[in-house]
Amino acid sequence: MELTPQQKDMSAGKQGDGIQKAMDILTAYGQCYDAERLIPVTSVHIAGNFPVLLDEGIDWLEDLAKGGTRVRVFTTKNPEMYDPLQADEMKIPMRFRQRQGRIHEVLIKLGIIPTYTCHHYLVGNVPRFGDHIAWASSGSQVFANSVIGARSNRDGDHVALAAAIAGVIPEWGLHLQKNRRADLVVDVGELDLESYGPEDFKALGWSLGKKIGARIPVFINLPPDLHIEKIKGLLYTLTVTGAMGMVHLAGITPEAPDLKTALGKNRACLPDLSALPEDVDKAYGEISSGKTAKVDLVIFGCPQCSIQEVQEIAGLMEGKQVHADTQFWICTSAWVKLLCDRMGLLKALTGSGVRVVSDVGAADGPHLYLKEQGVRVIAVNSARASYYAHTLFGMETWFGSTRECVLSAISGKWEGRK
Amino acid sequence: MIRLKARPVTRGLAEGEALVSRMAISFTGGMDPESGIIREPGHDLFGQSVAGKILVFPTGKGSTTGSWQYYAAFKRGVAPKGIINEKAEGVVAVSAIITGTPMVHGLEKSPLDHIKTGDFVRIDADKGFVEIIKS
Repeated sequence: MELTPQQKDMSAGKQGDGIQKAMDILTAYGQCYDAERLIPVTSVHIAGNFPVLLDEGIDWLEDLAKGGTRVRVFTTKNPEMYDPLQADEMKIPMRFRQRQGRIHEVLIKLGIIPTYTCHHYLVGNVPRFGDHIAWASSGSQVFANSVIGARSNRDGDHVALAAAIAGVIPEWGLHLQKNRRADLVVDVGELDLESYGPEDFKALGWSLGKKIGARIPVFINLPPDLHIEKIKGLLYTLTVTGAMGMVHLAGITPEAPDLKTALGKNRACLPDLSALPEDVDKAYGEISSGKTAKVDLVIFGCPQCSIQEVQEIAGLMEGKQVHADTQFWICTSAWVKLLCDRMGLLKALTGSGVRVVSDVGAADGPHLYLKEQGVRVIAVNSARASYYAHTLFGMETWFGSTRECVLSAISGKWEGRK
Repeated sequence: MIRLKARPVTRGLAEGEALVSRMAISFTGGMDPESGIIREPGHDLFGQSVAGKILVFPTGKGSTTGSWQYYAAFKRGVAPKGIINEKAEGVVAVSAIITGTPMVHGLEKSPLDHIKTGDFVRIDADKGFVEIIKS
């Protein structure tokens, strides 16, 4: 890899230990992929929370921050484990509060914006078309490439953080125009998409992710006015069962105004894969891992709920009460929670027995302590949350529509398809 | 003794007993950071510990959070001493760099064909070679 004189100084430690460490990471990483140079990044997002970092990870971050190392690129942070404003009433164990407190302090020291959200692109971290970025969160990374047209590889936290500190990233993979072309045509024209809710797009994503793997697909026959929640449903689930970094949605993705452009010139436009209604039906059965009808917790927010989703849930809950033996959480960002308060939704939801929890996502963070508190069976409208809560924390999970989840919270037992 | 040229990913020297897998490894979920034991069902190293070994495998796979789990394993003394890959992948490379673990890839001949579990292996990631002393 060719380094500029300034980058050589950074590698040699002339600008401090933290920058040298960052350059060590970036050069080792870049040479794995035969990157020829380092290019500037404009936006970074990092993901790891305590269940992933463990104590040693917090130590590593604290070491990095020693000597005043700070990020030089706008950097935001994914959700944490609990809502600090509700820590007492939610009986969050002290050992977790200490860990999250240490993570918060070190992020501030490093100059990272403590957004604690996975919809960072809704609250200020918005790259432009063609920007080179490093987003270490597989769902939003694909969203950036596929909906915004910014360029990010599937980088992990250490690489993203190193990029934020050094201000550069190795140029390989999806940073290069030639690698962003689709290599697989996926036809969804057989499906009755007009009748599809966001949950159906999630089931579709689940089914197709496995078949697509790490390739870059182009979807054809999608309605061009597809709602953003349905796009998110599809993209965020494709990356659970697959490992693709980019998805072309013909007519929606900026780099895919049509099939031909998405594929480039030298390729036949015939479909390689056609999604069938029975594949989507089958996915429902695979996503749910539940056996027990009684639901301990209904939890929304993977990715964290937008204000539109909270409005929908609040509408469904109007005049209703959550069952006495079931908890009901809406996980979102502090910004959306503030909006809920302003709009009177927070008061209405709280009155119905619903908790609005900020700084937390429904997939992982809270399940460590929820399990200790006896939560075993959860209902979700997110295939991603179902997968991670089940495989990482052993929860029994039921997956269905927002409406089915709300009805389950009211009756205390699963009301969706089994 | 066989000596094979290799491309360094990190720097340094390591030597010890080889543990060879023909399958990709994911450090998140695939390896217990408490014991270094491979716990992915169906993996050819299932139930075996990578602690203190020269770990030889084709490449990495899985969650990009793997480098956090590898770092925790290293601090708990159960990480490998050195890594030899057919083709280095980002998560494994970053794991090696943040722990100072000597690592090479792109050997002139496939390490999977020339190294067997139990062989004594020396990695020189400064000069770029691997030495194999058959057991």
